[in-house]
Amino acid sequence: MSSLVGFLSLVFAIGINFYLFLSRYIFKFHKQKFNLFIRFSSLLTLLSFFSLMYAYVVSDFSNYNVFQNSHSNKPLIYKISGTWGNHEGSMLLWLCILSIFSFFFSFTKNIEEDFQKLTLIIQAFLHILFGLFIVFTSNPFLVNSILINEGLGLNPILQDPGLAVHPPILYAGYVGYSIVFSIAIAGLFQNTDDEWLYVAKKWSLISWTFLTGGIALGSYWAYYELGWGGWWFWDPVENISLMPWIAGLALVHSLMMVRGEQAIKKWIVFLSILCFSLSVFGTFLVRSGILTSVHSFAADASRGIFILLIFFIVTGFGFLVFLLKEPKKSNALNLLFINKVSALVINNILMIIATLTILLGTIYPIIIEVLYNKRISVGGPYFNSTVIPIMIPGFLLMSIAPILSWQTNKINNSKKYVLAFIILSVLVILQSYFLDFNTWGFVGLLLGFWIILASIIAIFSSYKIKINIKFFKIINPHVAHIGVGIAIIGITCSSVFQNELDFNLNEGDKFNVNGKTVLFEKIETTNEINFQSLRGKFLFDIEKNQSKEIEAGKNYYPVSKMITSEAGILHQWNKDIYFILGDQKNNEWFVKVLINPFVSFIWLGVIIMMYSGLIAVSRR
Amino acid sequence: MNRVFILTPLIVLLIICIFSLVYLLSGKDPNKPPSALLNKDVPIFESSSLYNAKDIIKTKDIKNKKTLVNFFASWCSPCKIEHPLFFEIRKKYPELYLLGFNHKDPTSDAKKYLKDDGNPYDFVGVDSDGLIALEFGVFGLPETYLINEDGKIIYKFMGPITMDILKNEIEPLL
Repeated sequence: MSSLVGFLSLVFAIGINFYLFLSRYIFKFHKQKFNLFIRFSSLLTLLSFFSLMYAYVVSDFSNYNVFQNSHSNKPLIYKISGTWGNHEGSMLLWLCILSIFSFFFSFTKNIEEDFQKLTLIIQAFLHILFGLFIVFTSNPFLVNSILINEGLGLNPILQDPGLAVHPPILYAGYVGYSIVFSIAIAGLFQNTDDEWLYVAKKWSLISWTFLTGGIALGSYWAYYELGWGGWWFWDPVENISLMPWIAGLALVHSLMMVRGEQAIKKWIVFLSILCFSLSVFGTFLVRSGILTSVHSFAADASRGIFILLIFFIVTGFGFLVFLLKEPKKSNALNLLFINKVSALVINNILMIIATLTILLGTIYPIIIEVLYNKRISVGGPYFNSTVIPIMIPGFLLMSIAPILSWQTNKINNSKKYVLAFIILSVLVILQSYFLDFNTWGFVGLLLGFWIILASIIAIFSSYKIKINIKFFKIINPHVAHIGVGIAIIGITCSSVFQNELDFNLNEGDKFNVNGKTVLFEKIETTNEINFQSLRGKFLFDIEKNQSKEIEAGKNYYPVSKMITSEAGILHQWNKDIYFILGDQKNNEWFVKVLINPFVSFIWLGVIIMMYSGLIAVSRR
Repeated sequence: MNRVFILTPLIVLLIICIFSLVYLLSGKDPNKPPSALLNKDVPIFESSSLYNAKDIIKTKDIKNKKTLVNFFASWCSPCKIEHPLFFEIRKKYPELYLLGFNHKDPTSDAKKYLKDDGNPYDFVGVDSDGLIALEFGVFGLPETYLINEDGKIIYKFMGPITMDILKNEIEPLL
């Protein structure tokens, strides 16, 4: 029953969008009626999605999708997250979020009626494309022809609270760019005033904030679930999310800087189209199964071709409009040696080069395999040695960019900055000299601290300190950059100064980690609802009364016959101690301990960036 | 100049789409990489027998005869599944040379495995450090290669071979 409701409301929603799309040419609507239709179709899409969720929650195995991906023994939260833990459901979530964005956009005030309508019509067009894709190639509402009592279970690696919320948030970021795309295209068609830039800014900030959160959750999950001790692997799917993120960052910065310059406006339109194109391209790469990664899904060529077609239509349409309808002529660019505009141009160029570098590395294996029938893989070494150096000048610039002037080359208080930079350099050199020296460590620490220090100097010397909302809005760009600085320190320390210790241990053995004695207490196996768990129990710092207990081990999921590793992590503010339980051999257990300094700084930095993103939404 | 700049994204889009389409239509599966060694010469190897360290097999020893190379280990459960099939092959094609490589296995475990389940191979070479597997480009155990009289690899299969694969894919080549 729920399958039928879901399918019908989906089809009906697509029908309404088709009707709205035609309304541009055939049926003319009043604004109010038009908006009502858009909202109604959004609600129908939501209903469709919730019908599927309901089928998951009540374990309705008459639905083929539920049967394939769920199991009645699963805890409720994973039944719910099971809705998007598979290809069909996740595409429905995609469409659902697209609708939600249209829904909220239909409430936007202060914009021209015709412009809003056109934006929503483009959204309707996207809804039709992806809706048809779901109906024809990925229908989650297929029904089993025989009675079935039990399901086949969800991928156990996805049974994790962090991962349950990772896809919706990430998608909110990806799909949010659809609105920015539609606004930009509508802006090209209407070619009216610059009002649409402010609207686009708001939406691109929202999407970017969601995307940041989604990526961070994904890498946090990889950090504690995959048990490799790292949090970023340059996995193709990670790269796919990073590309729209960087392009989106460039877009957000351009939108904040634009003051009617024609060149920047053109560039903004280009970036808006690029961001959404990269999102759709990412969807294509993941959903077609064309790349191997931890996100492998069942590959199906017809699906791949369908999404490739959507990607081609959307991107081709976007860039074609861009080619034919250039933005109106307006002010020329005020480029000086070092002012806000030139800093912005440099930062944008760097970000685009970085995006293209990642794009090249990601699709290079496909090109090579088509041409030479040879399998190659492009991994960490390529990206580390290309993307990071490209970004470094941008990071250097970013520390002072917010205080640069629009009109002149002058930097206020430049002496303070020079002095601060020299002191900081000496301190970091001393640190590297007395502790272990590493080029990347040196560069990363210097950059991170410099960004934080310069931003703090800027805040204190440029504004009067007051504790009120307005003040926080004014200093927001600096706060965002402090977040980046903190994240850079975290990234540098955890990757460059990571320490690895290996042990072969019997139960009851004591060993030394970082000057503290650790007791390998015992191995324990228990039966949980839907898995069996094997845990090694460790007591950290047993000489103290309040020794901390750490559990590391593996889970075995009998339904899908899969083993997942569960790292045991002791979080301290300045480091994570990361325990991995290996295999047993000759009665001894292999235990790996990683000391990751300042990992928490990465997450802290990300949270600050997201906070700034949200504050910036409210700032005009 | 300006037009060229604006046209670039469209050209890049076209290139990406063409390559992706060709990739999809060619039915490639990213989880099954193409073997770089197919139709190439057997890699140079040298391995001693599991039962007698002085008994050495080299690449030139398998020239002039059709050889089926199989990588296996006692700890590999899919290997156990395909194991009985090698006796069938043995019976049906007595002239085919069966060369097994014992991959990263303690000698005692390997000997016990072949004692319990039987030894279908003409020669069991030891590949304790996995270097020979590396030369062959083995992705995971078990893996099977068919080599013709000229010493060229003419067939490769990843995973346990089954009756169907034996009948439909290997036998036509024998």
